[in-house]
Amino acid sequence: MGVLLLVGTRKGLFLIRGGANRSSWELEGPLLTGWSVFHAMQDPRDGNLYVAGNNFVYGGTVQRSSDLGQTWERSEGLGLPEETGLKLEEVWHVEPGHESEPETLYLGATPGALFRSGDKGETWEALMGLVQHETREQWQPGAGGMCCHSIQIDPEDPKQMYAAISAAGAFRTDDGGETWMPRNKNVAADFMPDPFPEVGQCVHKLLLHPEQRERLWQQNHCGVYRSDDRGDDWERLEGNGLPAGFGFPLALHPRDPDIAYVIPEEGAENRVTPNGRLGVYRTTDGGASWELLQNGLPQQAWAAVMREGFASDRNDPAGIYFGTQSGSVFASASEGDEWMEVARQLPPILSVEVGEWS
Amino acid sequence: MVVVRIPSLLADQAGGQGTFEVEAATVGEALRGLPVRDLVLDERGELRRLVNVYVDGEDARRGDGLETPLAGAQEIRVIAAVAGG
Repeated sequence: MGVLLLVGTRKGLFLIRGGANRSSWELEGPLLTGWSVFHAMQDPRDGNLYVAGNNFVYGGTVQRSSDLGQTWERSEGLGLPEETGLKLEEVWHVEPGHESEPETLYLGATPGALFRSGDKGETWEALMGLVQHETREQWQPGAGGMCCHSIQIDPEDPKQMYAAISAAGAFRTDDGGETWMPRNKNVAADFMPDPFPEVGQCVHKLLLHPEQRERLWQQNHCGVYRSDDRGDDWERLEGNGLPAGFGFPLALHPRDPDIAYVIPEEGAENRVTPNGRLGVYRTTDGGASWELLQNGLPQQAWAAVMREGFASDRNDPAGIYFGTQSGSVFASASEGDEWMEVARQLPPILSVEVGEWS
Repeated sequence: MVVVRIPSLLADQAGGQGTFEVEAATVGEALRGLPVRDLVLDERGELRRLVNVYVDGEDARRGDGLETPLAGAQEIRVIAAVAGG
């Protein structure tokens, strides 16, 4: 099995196959030309590829491929019920369901919408407990619209899930998606009159650690945070070594819950990597301190990495991957110590995920 | 019988087929019969804002929209508005 990078771009999907030792890489694509691939992933349960793809004219779709991108099938009838008074704008993130529910998938979308499929993406049903949440009037769209971009499922209990929306905040369900509780305590919303409201936080990416189910990480508009109690409370982390709290993407180590990676930007008003260079920041102590990783990364760069543009594999040592808005894909087979550029001059990169090929 | 022609991006989503012959009384009925109906029409069944439809060269929006009758019409063209980047 080799590492397969799924690289979603503004103009189609690219697949990058890693050779032995993750030191050589082969580019294939673009696939799904004409579609903006906001997110693409390979379902580890059956190997199917799923794409959340949008077209300016024809709207948002989910596309599925069971042959690694040779042919695609589109979900039909994707939309929000009339009773919501809302219309689907764009699809943002497609997430495999729990291992015990092999037909189930989740889809995040604008405006602040979450869907579930029970048939491998053929049909989708809006989760009304979130779409019609009692706090919805306090939500507001971020620059990317009111996108539901993060969906995480508890590895042990399929009824426990997390969803994050910009700018509504993080939510948890303990009943399989019927009801959702805001989980934003001590997460700042500096752009609001009350900087610590119940909802309205601008989460940029939220991830659950696969080996420590109580531990969540989030990169927020206003800081980097960790929770050790399933989101009940959050601790802000960027005091020691991070040049800025602002950023979009986040990646976790596949085994060690204390290791996380971010790629900060100067700030909300200047969305480029700090100090005119491209650097990844790693913590190995749960966010108490951060170190700059830059071996093999350009030392003169004003780059940006989107919220879906960062991923890790499950190898040992772990591989870490990201793609930039300027169309480069960087890979590290050494947990971030050394980097190599494995593709360049692609269209603006919106997402990077890891799958496998044989 | 009316011929419906769709752009190549939509044809890709219809298994490569870009031309369809349909029996329909209205523009809406013809579009709802396409395998890409969900890309041309939104979840309320309304024509997407940047999709233009011409019936024998006449913009259907200047007629009765999706209710535009097709009696005697030869060809429907679905065309994306000039937009995007």
